[in-house]
Amino acid sequence: MSTAVKRVEIKSQKKLRELLREHFVDLDAAARDPDRKVAWCTSVGPCEILTALGFEVYFPENHGALLGARKVSHRLIPRAVGLGYSAESCSYMTSDIGASLADASPLKEAFGISGPPKPDLLVYNTNQCREVQEWWSYFGRRSGAPVMGVTPPPHLGTVTAEHVGFVRGLLVKLIADIEVAFGRKLSEDRLEEVVAQSSRASRLWREVLNTARSRPAPISFFDGVIHMAPVILLRGSHRAIEYYEALRAEMKERVARGIGAVPDERFRVYWEGMPIWPKVRELSEKFFDLSTAVAASTYCNSWAFEEYDGGDPLAWMARISTEVFINRDEATKEAFLGEMFERFSIDGAIFHNARTCPNNTNSRFGMPQRIRERYELPVLVIDGDLSDVRFFSTAQTMTNIEAFIEQLEDRAR
Amino acid sequence: MTGAVYAGIDVGSSATKCVVLDENGLLVGHHVAASGFDYGEAAERALEHALLRAGSPRESIAGCVSTGYGRQSVSTADRQVTEITCHARGAREWYPQVRQVIDIGGQDTKIIRLTSEGRLAEYRMNAKCAAGTGTFLESIALKLGVTMQELDELAMKSRGDTVMNSYCTVFTGTEVIERVKEGQACEDISMGLFRSIAMRVSEMLSARTGPVSATGGVAAHCRALIRALEEVLETEVFLPPMPQHAGAYGAALIAWESKAEERSAAGHVAQG
Repeated sequence: MSTAVKRVEIKSQKKLRELLREHFVDLDAAARDPDRKVAWCTSVGPCEILTALGFEVYFPENHGALLGARKVSHRLIPRAVGLGYSAESCSYMTSDIGASLADASPLKEAFGISGPPKPDLLVYNTNQCREVQEWWSYFGRRSGAPVMGVTPPPHLGTVTAEHVGFVRGLLVKLIADIEVAFGRKLSEDRLEEVVAQSSRASRLWREVLNTARSRPAPISFFDGVIHMAPVILLRGSHRAIEYYEALRAEMKERVARGIGAVPDERFRVYWEGMPIWPKVRELSEKFFDLSTAVAASTYCNSWAFEEYDGGDPLAWMARISTEVFINRDEATKEAFLGEMFERFSIDGAIFHNARTCPNNTNSRFGMPQRIRERYELPVLVIDGDLSDVRFFSTAQTMTNIEAFIEQLEDRAR
Repeated sequence: MTGAVYAGIDVGSSATKCVVLDENGLLVGHHVAASGFDYGEAAERALEHALLRAGSPRESIAGCVSTGYGRQSVSTADRQVTEITCHARGAREWYPQVRQVIDIGGQDTKIIRLTSEGRLAEYRMNAKCAAGTGTFLESIALKLGVTMQELDELAMKSRGDTVMNSYCTVFTGTEVIERVKEGQACEDISMGLFRSIAMRVSEMLSARTGPVSATGGVAAHCRALIRALEEVLETEVFLPPMPQHAGAYGAALIAWESKAEERSAAGHVAQG
């Protein structure tokens, strides 16, 4: 790593660690308490309903990312493959199944807990992929807990009132099914309160990300993938709101003082697709050394929802979960990317072709080529995976990235 | 030779290439050494021989750029540039009209598209797989008990149109054995292997526009590859005078140009 310029760490990181510790210790306690119920939920799933119904919510995708970041996924995946799950299917799913079979979890060492909390209920939304349904079903079979889901129409262009109405209907049915299964009754006031808090946290997160429009960008994609944890794990709580208010203040201060994630920022790059969790640090250092800020990404923006302005909370939930980037058609995605390139003054875009995540990979139907022509922007596709390091070549990827920056330098001349 | 010289060193996975230019940018020395385990040592060896050929002492090096996978291991280099930029620069020097450069190396294949001004427009490398690389051919030649040169000679005698069904090094090896058992001519099977690389390359080309040049060790040593590329891409493929040295040549040119830019900037400053 470059020694000439020092990275100025984000101070909120300390608070984040405390928040996550409290969250996981509490989840662990909930799983042991017969009076408390734990629900597993997908990351853009109907967690507000679960919170309003009094469940403690756990997000297994976070565990998948953690297994990747701790570089243990590739050792766990073979156990799931042995059960018949393809090595080329979602590596979050296969590593999480493998971890469960091996009784391995980074949560143990990180927070001193027994691992992921045992589910009383598993709820998914296939707005991101159908793999989550199979992932949840595996754990449903193992635990005996009911598996329920929402299956919105996929790959949409315009999201119409009919689409929203349809998904709202699915949410109404989900609530009824949970109420029957657990003998609980949803309070509409409580749901409205949770949705308002969820929306507030999401809005603050968007404002944090938007500070990266400044030059130098005070926060990069590599910081974002860490600091987005509360908007997923604690969505709908005051703790997330407080956290992002502080983080936003810190980012504004960094902007005012000219502190960048990459201090001597020469270029600004966009990251499209999943993070490469086992290589986040190496990639972060590579871009740092190349004086290039990965200033914006689709991934971090996936939890920056449209604001809830009162009214029907279920309609808001139906809309935001159906409108997510991953659930849209190619034309809508391309238009969104164009807006992001402009908003963040992007010099070039990197598409991550994640081997086991076709649904969150947008380089397989010619989009990079169309983007290059439409926006006259240099585009690079790199091969890798979100968790399984066996699909990643460090030497090839680093050469690709360096050549990309050489291309940007050449263009800037 | 007593004037300043500029060196380009391309440390590849199989071979390390060095090119030395004189102060006018003319190629005056070159050498290829096996990369082996010690990239730094291979680079030194290649440089030493190239300097000897140029008749220049080491102190005359005024600039040195390293490239290739082992580029970080070259202590003499004052700058590292990727092989993508260097191959494009080298090929363009030989053929200014070239718009596509196909570099087939030991462990990867690179397709580089240039703009009409000679700038890097787009590039692609093979994914984490040996399909379409020099290693693909080496591995199968080894299995067949022939050298790369013999494989090339056999292929050049082929009159058939054999195409392999797989790009995979392992499965193609099995397919070769099956075809031998079926009684297919080894000349045709050999040519099929080169077609396999050419077809893999054709998949990586985003646009079939403009003249094409092939660089790298495989292009340098295998005429059958050029024949297969011309057949599959349906266009003439320009083979530079020193295809294997294209990356090192590009690196040396970049070193030479950097000094020229520095001199020019210094001149402007002196003029106030």
